[in-house]
Amino acid sequence: MYKLLLSWRYLLTRYLALASIVSVMLGVATLVVVNSVMGGFAEKLRNRLRGLQAHVMIDARSADGFCNLDYHMQRVREILGDRLEAMSPVIEGFAMVEYRRREYTNFETGSRDDPIHGVITGESPPVVRTVRLLGIDPASRSQTSEFAQFLQNPENRRDPRRCFELRGQAAEHHRRHFLRSFGPSPWNAFPPPNPLAAAEEEATRPPPTDPVELPPHLVRPFGAVVGHGIATFRKPDAKSTDTDRDIPIIYPGDEIVITTVSRTQLEGHAGTRGHPRPVSATFVVTDIFKSEMSEIDSNIIYIDLADMQRLRTMENCATSLQLKIRGYDDYTPEQKRQLLAELARHFDETFFAIASWEQKQGPLLAAIAIERGLLNVLLFLIIAVAGFGILAIFFMIVVEKMRDIGILKALGASNSGVMGIFLTYGLALGLVGAGLGTVLGLAITVNINEIERGLSAMTGNDVFDRSVYYFDKIPTVIDPLNILFLNLGALAIAVGASVLPALRAALLHPVQCLRYE
Amino acid sequence: MAAKLLVARDLYKSYRRHKIVIPVLQGLDLDVETGEFLCLVGASGSGKTTLLHVLGTLDRPDSGRILLEGKRIDNVPLAERDRLRNQVFGFIFQFYHLLPELNVLENVLMPQMIRSSVLSWWWHRREARRRALALLERVGLSHRLRHRPRELSGGEMQRAAIARALLSRPRLLLADEPTGNLDARTGSEIVRLLRDLNREEGLTIIMVTHNPEIARQADRCVCMTEGRVEPISLGELHALSS
Repeated sequence: MYKLLLSWRYLLTRYLALASIVSVMLGVATLVVVNSVMGGFAEKLRNRLRGLQAHVMIDARSADGFCNLDYHMQRVREILGDRLEAMSPVIEGFAMVEYRRREYTNFETGSRDDPIHGVITGESPPVVRTVRLLGIDPASRSQTSEFAQFLQNPENRRDPRRCFELRGQAAEHHRRHFLRSFGPSPWNAFPPPNPLAAAEEEATRPPPTDPVELPPHLVRPFGAVVGHGIATFRKPDAKSTDTDRDIPIIYPGDEIVITTVSRTQLEGHAGTRGHPRPVSATFVVTDIFKSEMSEIDSNIIYIDLADMQRLRTMENCATSLQLKIRGYDDYTPEQKRQLLAELARHFDETFFAIASWEQKQGPLLAAIAIERGLLNVLLFLIIAVAGFGILAIFFMIVVEKMRDIGILKALGASNSGVMGIFLTYGLALGLVGAGLGTVLGLAITVNINEIERGLSAMTGNDVFDRSVYYFDKIPTVIDPLNILFLNLGALAIAVGASVLPALRAALLHPVQCLRYE
Repeated sequence: MAAKLLVARDLYKSYRRHKIVIPVLQGLDLDVETGEFLCLVGASGSGKTTLLHVLGTLDRPDSGRILLEGKRIDNVPLAERDRLRNQVFGFIFQFYHLLPELNVLENVLMPQMIRSSVLSWWWHRREARRRALALLERVGLSHRLRHRPRELSGGEMQRAAIARALLSRPRLLLADEPTGNLDARTGSEIVRLLRDLNREEGLTIIMVTHNPEIARQADRCVCMTEGRVEPISLGELHALSS
């Protein structure tokens, strides 16, 4: 009983020990914040990766993919039966995209990027960049992955099957562009005589009363959904708080030229083996895709699977089958392995690579886990430093309390009892420090985005650079079990650091203590 | 003839300071009878405090025997010695030795707290409190229950220390110069209190003092010289002090 009373009183009266409470507190708070943020990153990344990919992917090893798509899909259906929830064929390849950046000035509002009401007042030379080109079937794609929710046009989010059709503002912009291209506009001549005068003329001209009949190939043009990172560029010195930090280059309704290669195994004349040839076509951008994963957003252009097949002469072929499995998240690792093995029996190793999404993204997720573990070890060293603080302070307190220790022993306190006082005291310091640290850490974690904004505003620099990371907000996940372990670790260090001083106090000779002045 | 409460036979104790061995107790024999108020006088450094510590199991003699009611207590295990200090011996010191973090009442309750686990303390706390309050009443400190030691005068601190020593109903009170740090009037009040406790409750007391006035109030006086005790008469006592 006296151990509790005395350690409680020591806790209240020894202000020196507050220093060690503060250091334990800061250590625990840092650990809580770092773990929550890293956990948030891992979780969000995992969800994003998960959302962008199907559960199981059957990839053809050849760039030409595999043919008899219908047959293979039928086989998958037979093998998996009820377990198959959705399946989507994909053709993936590399491509060049060529586009021009145009400036659409609306003289009424002064806006320089208004493709619907503005007139073209400037045009860049053609820009070419490489992209990953994915031919997808939007209907089944949005069943196997969360493709639809990343589309920017709300109509397409509701009905992704028509995402490669020109609708809404994109259609209006494209129609106007078509009119401009073919109408009596001065900038068909080169160089334009006076762009400002011409622009004013167009702005004042009444809009055409009856819609122009589009030529047949433009009624249903090749549609493309372009990644947000391709369609915009980021202002170099943009702050995270700027709303206009992404400057559009490509608007829905713009035309882009995509060049890819035809099938490698193209038949040559008279049955000889041919070579891949570049093939290109003009696409109309129908929507923008924004998953907030910069790697995907700045690299991928989606087009319709049928268009892709036509372009690359791969009718009834695909390079990959994406499968969504019913109740996959509840599968045990053993069940997952078994599922892959069943598929492998039909899809031969030589020609196909079968992988689950965890296997594909494993290295990235593992890297985050390793980083997190390493940070935990490093940050626990902070608490270990706090532990040495406790050690030093406790040795001083033991010397200071020498007489009291003698009295307690004269009153019949055992050695272990005296040791208990200091261990309890260490535990109390640890408890208070860890408790305050947890509260502080949680407070920082919950308000981390506000804090980051405040710090950015104060320093004038972005603390959390959105263009480096994948997310607009700092994601956090508060894991109670993790916090519990952190606290237990901090307590163990605090108690561990008080063992030596406590042992010293316990082994002091009562007579020496009583004589000590 | 009253029964012997404590018997010490042939006690030897020496301290080692660096390489020099300082003999303190050299074949000391002492008998303490139940209900006796024994006064121990002697020059500074003659080993009075050491004798008290050895008798009260705070220290071990190098050789010799100490018997409490016929049972040896000088060679019992550590835990048993802790129990003896807690329940059989009561200590009071020249510098009071109260715990500065606790108030008077808590200081007095300390022996009971040391004896009990958290649970048993919770069960018996009312009883212990009652006894502590009665003792504080007895020593005249019931108006100072919640005061910290540093807010008390020397006499009050010593009375609190006496109440603490009495809480476990000890058989033997070992007082090490309880008046040494007090003025004459306060000192004699403390001695009167001890004297009353001895007379009214039959408490056995061994008190170390330098003051012949105080020593005179004891039943018996012994003088410590050259590591042994010898009986000393009042006349000799005065001669010693002058």
